[in-house]
Amino acid sequence: MKTIRYISAFLFLLFAMTSCMNNFEAPELNDVPYGNNTIGEANKTIADLKTKYASVVRSNGYEQITDDIIIEGVVVANDETGNVYKQLVINDETGAIIIGVNDVGMYAVMPVGQRVRMNCKGLYIGGYGSLVQIGTKYYNEKYTEYQIGRMSKFDFLQHIRLIGKADSTQKELIPLEITEEYLANKANKDLAPVYVKLKNVSFAEADGKRLYAPEEEQISETNTAVERNVYVGSQKVIFRLSTYADFANDKMPKGSFDVTGVLTRYRNPGSNSDSKDYWQFLLSSTDDIIPITE
Amino acid sequence: MKSVTYFLLCILCGSAIEVQAQEIVLKDSGFVSQLEDGRVLQQPVRTNGIDTLLVDEPVNNIIILSDDNSDSYTFLEGQLGEDEDFAGTTAMVSSNDDYFLSEVGYLFSPMRFRVRAYNSQYNNVYVNGALMNDAERGTFSYGMIGGLNEATRNKEGASYLEHNGFGVGSVGGANNINMRASQYAAGHKASLVGCNRNYLARAMYTYSTGLMQNGWAFTGSASYRWANEGVIEGTFYNSFGYFLAAEKKIDDRHSISVATWGSPTERAQQAAATEEAYWLAGSHYYNSNWGYQGGKKRNARVVNSFEPAAVVTWDFQINDKAKLTTSLFGKYSNYSTTALGWNGNASDPRPNYYKNLPSAVYDVWDLDYTPTESEYADYMATYNYWVASKANRQINWDYMYFANSQANAMGGECLYYVERRHNDQFALNLASTLNVDFDKNNKGTFGINIGTTKGMHYKTMSDLMGAEKYTDIDKFSVEEYGTNSDFIQNDVDNPNRRIKEGDVFGYDYDINVNKANLFYQHNFSKGIMNLFLGTHVEATTMERYGNMRNGRAMEFSKGSSGTAFFLGGGVKMGVVLPFNAHNTVTFGWGYENRAPLAYNSFVAPRIRNNFVEGLTNEQLLNAEASYKFSFGSVTAKITGYCAMFNELVEQNAFYNDQQSEFTYLTMTGVDKVHYGLEAAVVYNITSSLAVNAVAAVGNAEYWGDVQGYLISETDKEGSSQKVYMDGVKVDGTPLTALSLGVDYNVKGWYLSANVNYYDNIYIDASSYTRLEKVVGNMEIDASTGKVDYNIPAQYKAKGGFMVDASIGKSISLRGGKKLNINLSLNNILNNQNLVTGGYEQNRDDGYWNKDGDNYVKDEKEKTYKFSKNPYLYYASAFNAYLNVGLRF
Repeated sequence: MKTIRYISAFLFLLFAMTSCMNNFEAPELNDVPYGNNTIGEANKTIADLKTKYASVVRSNGYEQITDDIIIEGVVVANDETGNVYKQLVINDETGAIIIGVNDVGMYAVMPVGQRVRMNCKGLYIGGYGSLVQIGTKYYNEKYTEYQIGRMSKFDFLQHIRLIGKADSTQKELIPLEITEEYLANKANKDLAPVYVKLKNVSFAEADGKRLYAPEEEQISETNTAVERNVYVGSQKVIFRLSTYADFANDKMPKGSFDVTGVLTRYRNPGSNSDSKDYWQFLLSSTDDIIPITE
Repeated sequence: MKSVTYFLLCILCGSAIEVQAQEIVLKDSGFVSQLEDGRVLQQPVRTNGIDTLLVDEPVNNIIILSDDNSDSYTFLEGQLGEDEDFAGTTAMVSSNDDYFLSEVGYLFSPMRFRVRAYNSQYNNVYVNGALMNDAERGTFSYGMIGGLNEATRNKEGASYLEHNGFGVGSVGGANNINMRASQYAAGHKASLVGCNRNYLARAMYTYSTGLMQNGWAFTGSASYRWANEGVIEGTFYNSFGYFLAAEKKIDDRHSISVATWGSPTERAQQAAATEEAYWLAGSHYYNSNWGYQGGKKRNARVVNSFEPAAVVTWDFQINDKAKLTTSLFGKYSNYSTTALGWNGNASDPRPNYYKNLPSAVYDVWDLDYTPTESEYADYMATYNYWVASKANRQINWDYMYFANSQANAMGGECLYYVERRHNDQFALNLASTLNVDFDKNNKGTFGINIGTTKGMHYKTMSDLMGAEKYTDIDKFSVEEYGTNSDFIQNDVDNPNRRIKEGDVFGYDYDINVNKANLFYQHNFSKGIMNLFLGTHVEATTMERYGNMRNGRAMEFSKGSSGTAFFLGGGVKMGVVLPFNAHNTVTFGWGYENRAPLAYNSFVAPRIRNNFVEGLTNEQLLNAEASYKFSFGSVTAKITGYCAMFNELVEQNAFYNDQQSEFTYLTMTGVDKVHYGLEAAVVYNITSSLAVNAVAAVGNAEYWGDVQGYLISETDKEGSSQKVYMDGVKVDGTPLTALSLGVDYNVKGWYLSANVNYYDNIYIDASSYTRLEKVVGNMEIDASTGKVDYNIPAQYKAKGGFMVDASIGKSISLRGGKKLNINLSLNNILNNQNLVTGGYEQNRDDGYWNKDGDNYVKDEKEKTYKFSKNPYLYYASAFNAYLNVGLRF
């Protein structure tokens, strides 16, 4: 009998110890587990920064930012669908700017509506197709010269701070409504990128069957984008869509729609002619295309 | 300059990784050292005036004593039997007086040595005569008897060419565990273990009544193995084991016994890593599977297993010449592994994902290449991030929770989650064996073994990590087929199903296998002379039954695949011929024809019913001869063997990162050859002192190129291609293992020490990078006319020494009690550079561009060189095992 008592006590003890070791509750996140939480208050607007380096950008040059410049804005375009790739666009009340980062899946912590602060000191700013971008310089083998390019993910982590949580009701998310006149004014191109809404437009190529960005239509073997055109009156805006976007093989809407996104420019670097200075459009997601129902 | 460089390298690499630099080159970019075997370790040092060589925290300090895997995202089901505290996991054991076979299993276990490099599916494990091997994968799951060392102590073994009284043995031999309650020594046995291995402590208690006067016998055993953190950082171990058996001897002729056992276990796994990651972490025991969550360590890969089993046995002594044993064995296995999942376009959360590594910034392997200033800066940013803190090189759970909370705030889909991949199995096996002694020279064993197995494979949502929404679609197919297509649905009958924790998603299918075999073994012996004959026939059926209709295989995923039938069998014979009492020659051969494993027989089992095309029986041909002699106090045995495996079917499943597809590569018509020598010598110098030497020197490799079939889970159909496997070595075991040992025995003390040498260690070669289309660049050499295939060389690890020792004492106490104390010390020289195994990455260095439905290889290469970065596992560092046992 004694033996049985010993055995049952032993078994009980074992069962008690064999409780699950792998139970985890959601952690309490007092500090944002991303980026650099020591970055202080913003001291410049995005427009200030763009103005300061306007000539560098226009000439497709690059320059290291050596001043203590901290900007703050709200993410208006990211890599959620894969159409925007290794880039983020942030917007404050004065304008928007593109940040190039050698990373993917950044939308996971920086969805559209996330307020961020960026310490620009030490980073580079420059122009690609005369469009402003913050990143680092990189050596372009084709042109045998340094250009503005994407910064390392690990550099980015030192320079970015997330403020609060994502919120879709922020005033920086109100786009500028764009008219034909705005697009016709060449001087406006230097303001790009601009967070905008195009109203009552349609894809010139859409017939109810054609897809956004099928591989068969990509620009070249190595350029995996497909160009789709939208006209605001007589002004053309080129949508450059990636064949790697989640929506690449979805059908384009046939009718007219309103669309929100980032208006950019591409000015052919080899040319002084304004005829090779285009309006382009960076679409984050097809959720930003709102069909107009009649 | 060279010495300075070497000194700096040593500082950086720390003592844990001994860099044997042969040639060190100073470059503008920094120091690059080339190792003897051509591998390169790089350490950039700025030469433009700024000395940033030494990071804030010297790497040496990061080496923590407590430091110690297709994964990767691929299936790790191959680790089913990885419970390492079973020395004999993959060794064939023979109980006959074969010193070699009885020693090597334990002796070489730190290097995961497999006898003759055979796959463990060729070793059959029986309980009371009923087969316990998993019919789907062929192997016996040692996790099923985890921690039950006492309960499984009674076992007999026989090599392939020896007679056994219980069942068919394949080339890896056969073992039979005797679980009859009356077979355990009466009394109590208790033991405690303390060690620094997978677990830190073990307690075990066994009690047996022995066969009592009333004809009953009862035996019970319980054990518990525990580690809140094992020797490998971020792992834990929590395992309980129970065994209960009863036997009733009805009369002199009949006896019925019942035994039931199980070993509910929860344990966290270690991952293999590349040499670069080990270098950055300062340890060959870096484990990328864990990370901090709210400051606590959490492992992403946790195995939960519980395989309750039972056996009922009827022993019938028909007369003094014949005995019939009939057993019914059943088990219900619950086995699951967790793994991180990421959804949408969220980034890969694994800390050592190649894009997070310094060598992804510029080609460090090209010694003529000078990085640009910006590349150099990015390299340093990456390097500094890795070495700045331990958290930086582990999983960031807080980040993933934060991402999910962001998704919730915006009404988006779950981004990161933990999934649980289940491989459950129900199996029944009925066996009946008749042992007959025909006369004093002849005995025979007739038997029948019938088994049915239902393997259930599915995954469930283990932890949504705070996310509110997860939809069951295949994210990899979205880009290819569009967001509204049926093709992206994992379960077309329940499209866009919302998944909650605990729900089945992704895939769900059963594999049904039935097997029946009939065997006869005959043994003739006269004195030492012995003649053995064995033969069997075996029938196998297999079927996949899908429980989900997958969008990429709408017609072929739900319901039955149909049933495939295979008929096989084998014959074998062995002869022992004595020249005289001191010299014996043994030789034998065998041929076996067996069904392929169900595990390898479906082209894409997670989603499709399609069988692999051209499935045929596998064939094994084996021959061996040995010579045994004893001369004075020296006894020795030397064996030569050759085994040929033909028409094998093998499958690799892996995530193809390049094409973002989960991919299966099945090889058919695989031929392999294993051959070598085994030797053991024991010299008894005195009655208490003996010296022994053991050697296993062999080769095992693919013989000829094979046919491959490649299909991904996003493909509607696959493609057949050649795979250049000729000459690829069998991996995961040293092909050369040598040992020199000494045993000393005096006054109840027992001492032994061994010096072991291991070499010819290979890792799992990627069949993907040897595919015809991937190899590419096939050129015909004009002078020789030979085709130059540019086939990648298989990674071969360096050999090395390991020293083990043990000391024990047996003390008799009053009242017949006995105390045993044993201390084993493994890897006393603390050799941390011995690779036990690993795998090449299933990805090549080229870029692939899509051309219509095909991918075409670009001339340009990726910066990161997958071909030079295999994933490796290292043998355990110095470890000790103290066992105190009391018998009362």
